[in-house]
Amino acid sequence: MRSVRRVEQVMGTVFSFDVRVEGMAADQIHVALTRAGAGLRRADAVFSTWKPDSPMSRLRRGEITLGEAPAEVAAVLGLCHTARALSGGWFDPWAMPGGVDPTGLVKGWAAAQAAAGLRHAGVDAGMVNAGGDVVTFGSPEPGRPWRVGVRDPWDAHRIVAVVEGPAAVATSGCYERGQHVLDPRTGEPSAAVASATVVGADLALADALATGLLAAGEAGVDAVVAAGYQALLVLPDRRLSATPAFPGVCAAAA
Amino acid sequence: MRRAPIVLTSTAAGLALVLGFHTHAPHGIALGVTGTTGTTSTTGPTTTTAGSNTASTATTAPPTTSASNATRTATGTFVQYRYGDIQLRVTAQGSKIDKITVVQEDATDPRSEEINSQAIPMLQSQAMSAQSANIDGVSGATYTSEAYAQSLQAALDKLGIQ
Repeated sequence: MRSVRRVEQVMGTVFSFDVRVEGMAADQIHVALTRAGAGLRRADAVFSTWKPDSPMSRLRRGEITLGEAPAEVAAVLGLCHTARALSGGWFDPWAMPGGVDPTGLVKGWAAAQAAAGLRHAGVDAGMVNAGGDVVTFGSPEPGRPWRVGVRDPWDAHRIVAVVEGPAAVATSGCYERGQHVLDPRTGEPSAAVASATVVGADLALADALATGLLAAGEAGVDAVVAAGYQALLVLPDRRLSATPAFPGVCAAAA
Repeated sequence: MRRAPIVLTSTAAGLALVLGFHTHAPHGIALGVTGTTGTTSTTGPTTTTAGSNTASTATTAPPTTSASNATRTATGTFVQYRYGDIQLRVTAQGSKIDKITVVQEDATDPRSEEINSQAIPMLQSQAMSAQSANIDGVSGATYTSEAYAQSLQAALDKLGIQ
C-alpha cells in the first residue's frame, strides 16, 4: 500500500490527509484529493459565521430562509438537532449568541464528507484530520487499525491516550485558542474539563458531543454513552477519566 | 464512569523508552528503561533491583535481549528528581509493551507527595509520547494554522510527505 499525504489550510486551521492506496493511478489520487480539498473550501464558504456574506451568516440575520440556503445547510442543521438531543442539551447551537451557530459540528461534518468522497473515489484507506478532529476508514496497513493519539492539553508534543479503530475521534478543549466554552444552560463560561475526546461512528456527531462534554464535564458522559459513543476526559487536575468501553489506551490516572 | 487504570497496555517499538521529565526536572533527567538498564527477566516472577540512586541522565540503548515472544520485564534504575525517587517497571511480550508500572515512589514530604500524584501520570504519558512513531494522527482541540506548524500532526505529515 502506498501512502499519499496532503495538507489543506481551510476553516482557520489545517486539514491533513493521509490516504493509503493499492493499484490506484497517481493522477486519480490527485484528482480525488483535489476534490476533497474543494469540498472543504465550499463548506467553509457556506458555513462560515466569520464571512458576513456566507449563506449561514445571511440565514442567521434572517436575510434568507432555510429553503433558499444551499441544501447542505438543512442537512447540517438536522445533524445539529440530532446532536443536541443526543448530548442531553449540552451541545446547543441555538443557545449561542447571534443566532444558530453550527460551528461546533461543521468541521467534523466536512471532514466526514471528504473521507466519504475519497472512499467513493476508490481510495482503500484514509485518514482526514480536521485540525484535531479525525475520521478514518479502512486499514492503514494489513492487519492493523488506525492509531490516533489524544493530545496532552498542557503539552502539544505529548499524548495521553492512543485510540485504535473507531471511525471518528473528536477532541474539544480551550487550550489552543484560549476561548471560552459556554454552558448552554446558564450562558456562562464553563471549565469543567481541560479536554474532552469523543470516539464513535460519525465525526460530525462526535465533534458536537465533544463540544458538549467540554461544558458538561462528567455530568454529560452518560448521554454520550447512551448515544453509542465513548469518551475520555482530561480533568483540570490532570487526571484522566475514560468510559469503560473507551477503545484505546490511556496513559495513567492518579 | 471508571478511572483509567494506572497501567498502560500498548504496542511500542520495543523496550527502549526515554522518559523525559522536563516539567519537574529542570536539568533534563531522563529515565532509561531497557533490557540493559536495571533488571531483565524472562517469563517467571519479576525481580526488582534497586538501581543506582543517583540523579543522573540514564540513557537508553536498543534492547540487546533476544527479540523472542517471551514475556520480558525490565525495571529501570531509580531516578531522583526534585520531589523524590521513582522507578518504573516495563513488561513486554516480544516488541509489545504490556504494562508500565510505578515500582516505587518516595516523596520526602507531604507537599511532594501531592506533586507526585500529578507528576507520575505525566511521566507515564511521556511513555506514550515515546511511541508517537506508532500513531497515524493526533486528535486535539482545534489548532490555528500557526499552531499546526508546531504540532505532532505536522511532524507526522512531514514524515509522510518527505
